[in-house]
Amino acid sequence: MKAVFTFSLMTLRMLFRRRTLWGILLVILLALAGIASVPSFDISNQGRFVLDFGLFGIEVGALLLALGLAANLYPRDRETRTLMPLIAVPLSRWQYLLGRFFGAALVQAAALIVTCLGLMLILILHELPIPGDLLPATLLIIVEGWFLLSTVFFFSFFASPPLNWPLTTMLFVLSQMSVSEFVSILPSAPGLMRTVRLLLPHADVFHIKDPIAHGFNIEPVYFLIAIFYGLCYAAFMLSLALAVFRRRDLK
Amino acid sequence: MRMCNHSICLAFTLAFFFLTGCRTDYDIADVAPEEHLHSEDHDHADGETCEESESDHSHGHSNETGHAHSVNEEMEEAHAGGPSGHAHDAGDRNHGTQWFFNQPWAATFIWKKLFRDALIFLTLAVGIFLATGRRRKR
Repeated sequence: MKAVFTFSLMTLRMLFRRRTLWGILLVILLALAGIASVPSFDISNQGRFVLDFGLFGIEVGALLLALGLAANLYPRDRETRTLMPLIAVPLSRWQYLLGRFFGAALVQAAALIVTCLGLMLILILHELPIPGDLLPATLLIIVEGWFLLSTVFFFSFFASPPLNWPLTTMLFVLSQMSVSEFVSILPSAPGLMRTVRLLLPHADVFHIKDPIAHGFNIEPVYFLIAIFYGLCYAAFMLSLALAVFRRRDLK
Repeated sequence: MRMCNHSICLAFTLAFFFLTGCRTDYDIADVAPEEHLHSEDHDHADGETCEESESDHSHGHSNETGHAHSVNEEMEEAHAGGPSGHAHDAGDRNHGTQWFFNQPWAATFIWKKLFRDALIFLTLAVGIFLATGRRRKR
């Protein structure tokens, strides 16, 4: 695991040097500022409006960060031929994958925490209350971001970056759908669609912006279950990615 | 022999997935208990006011009671000024809010399924990791 740790720190430093991260972060923060300046036409609901759309903006930001950070990692390593010496001696393939993933996951988490702090600052500047569950809600979005990151890694082993973006976005959209909405895509085969849906994640598990915006308290055990669910699904996607990567001929 | 182990591992993984997962996926509304679904189960004609008191109008919503600022109050505010004059007591669910309570955070009866699904995905991950690793060694 020491090799994984060292390689993830290398990945972290490399990603912090890239302009992609800072560009996406700037876009998210500007979007949050823009959301706060949109009138809700109801003074009493302004805080709810900003919170709801702000958390949605952070969630979309998690998708952009996952794609921006990870879609190019493996293709670039292969193109610049840095991959071969890496996996020839110091790292096995699973160590390479985990090192890249953990490095990108740390950078993504740091960026999402910054966006959460940005949302807090916007609420303070508008003299709106900050709900106590805002940080836990961001934590759930971070876990959702890690699931998206693992999905990006999975697609990056057999799809080019321009194809990775729509594929991951499509999975993101599908995972937001309820089972009945998913079945309505192909209503003639409900059993098949329900079985396929079983393999897709339930992204609504990570959504607690509605109760937060309406002042509901959420039981702590729910956070634990949702985080466990997200981590397990990310592990599942990473194992699929590894299965593809292990079969790849890198010559 | 290794091929045999590989097949057993895959078979175990698939069996665990399909037998423990047991059934096709479902929405919260499909499996919600009566008290969860019928918390707003009464209809009014247009312009009619709901006259049920809190005692004979039982709503099963332990999650939202006791909160200072709930969606019910907001809905009541909206309804109070509306054409029907429809207002429920504080803490009661209002019409059209079922979607709100059919989310995983509010549906405690779905949490076991979430945990079970997580375990299945974790087992699948371990199974795939071991199976593909074995194939590489061969």
